[in-house]
Amino acid sequence: MKVTIVKKITTDGNLCRKSADVWERLQKERLLGYIDRIIFAHETKPNSEGLILAAKHQVERAPFFIVQQDDNSTQVYTSYARFLSEALDRQVAEKEEIAEIMASSADLDFI
Amino acid sequence: MILSVPETKIDSIQAEYAHKSPQQILRYALSQFDNIAISFSGAEDVVLIDMAAKITKNVKVFSLDTGRLHPETYQFLNRVREHYNLDLEILFPDAQQVQKLVQEKGLFSFYQDGHKECCGIRKVMPLRRKLVTLDAWITGQRRDQSPDTRAEIPVIQNDVAFSTQERNLVKFNPLANWSSEKVWKYIRYHDVPYNQLHEQGFISIGCQPCTKPVLPNQHEREGRWWWENSGSKECGLHTTSVSSIK
Repeated sequence: MKVTIVKKITTDGNLCRKSADVWERLQKERLLGYIDRIIFAHETKPNSEGLILAAKHQVERAPFFIVQQDDNSTQVYTSYARFLSEALDRQVAEKEEIAEIMASSADLDFI
Repeated sequence: MILSVPETKIDSIQAEYAHKSPQQILRYALSQFDNIAISFSGAEDVVLIDMAAKITKNVKVFSLDTGRLHPETYQFLNRVREHYNLDLEILFPDAQQVQKLVQEKGLFSFYQDGHKECCGIRKVMPLRRKLVTLDAWITGQRRDQSPDTRAEIPVIQNDVAFSTQERNLVKFNPLANWSSEKVWKYIRYHDVPYNQLHEQGFISIGCQPCTKPVLPNQHEREGRWWWENSGSKECGLHTTSVSSIK
């Protein structure tokens, strides 16, 4: 299995808030060893590799993970919680999963 | 009979139905899926129930009872249940989760910590538990409800938030193209029952502590979580940048 993470660089040259947050969590949970490749999506550079990958996989949110399995099948995860549970087979607290769903689906507030 | 729509066909169906009427979209949804239900918030999305009841007698409807709704909303839920002779399924939050939150933070923690934690426990967790049992669901979401978060709502979509690796969930938003004005014209014309809170200046209705009436010309969302600042909520990869390099 090969894991690529795509992080977003904003116009001010910094990592976007969520990319920084996810990276910090990977560090804290000692999971950086699972990441084989880091790609950046530069907001100011349409031809940056990260934006090209985002277009290819029809992803509109950063960060995201591309997981290539040994059989060459590929899964793309925009949810960190889902990446943890499905790709790395880690336990994720329901509260954490829900928080992430809500953060990425603002319209759920009004259901 | 198990009915469904292949995940890969959703985009083309969205294109085909993007400008069709809510009734046409509902008819399509109900004809394609057996295991489908309407999510009813207890507000003006009651029009979906009225429309669906004219299409089928077997419409499935569920509502989320957070435990903090207005008395008028509870009365309205019951009224709708009786009016349409519905087997209205009321979903409740997990008692232990609510108890833990209230024990640790009190009954009004959302005024200090923001509403997400409370909404997560009282609303989104029970919603997710329901959605894993369905193949498709129908919401009353409209684009005009929130220019920030709902501007791009399609009439049909793969629900990426609640689909799982094993199961794709399809979401229908038949009212996406309708304005509040159109919804209320429908309610009046068809004599549809409505929540009495609307007569007191409430437009968007949620939990009692987090909802207030709005003044003339205020957007309906100004009556929800008004004490919170709306900051940057997610790290979007701007579509313009992405599409320009396709």
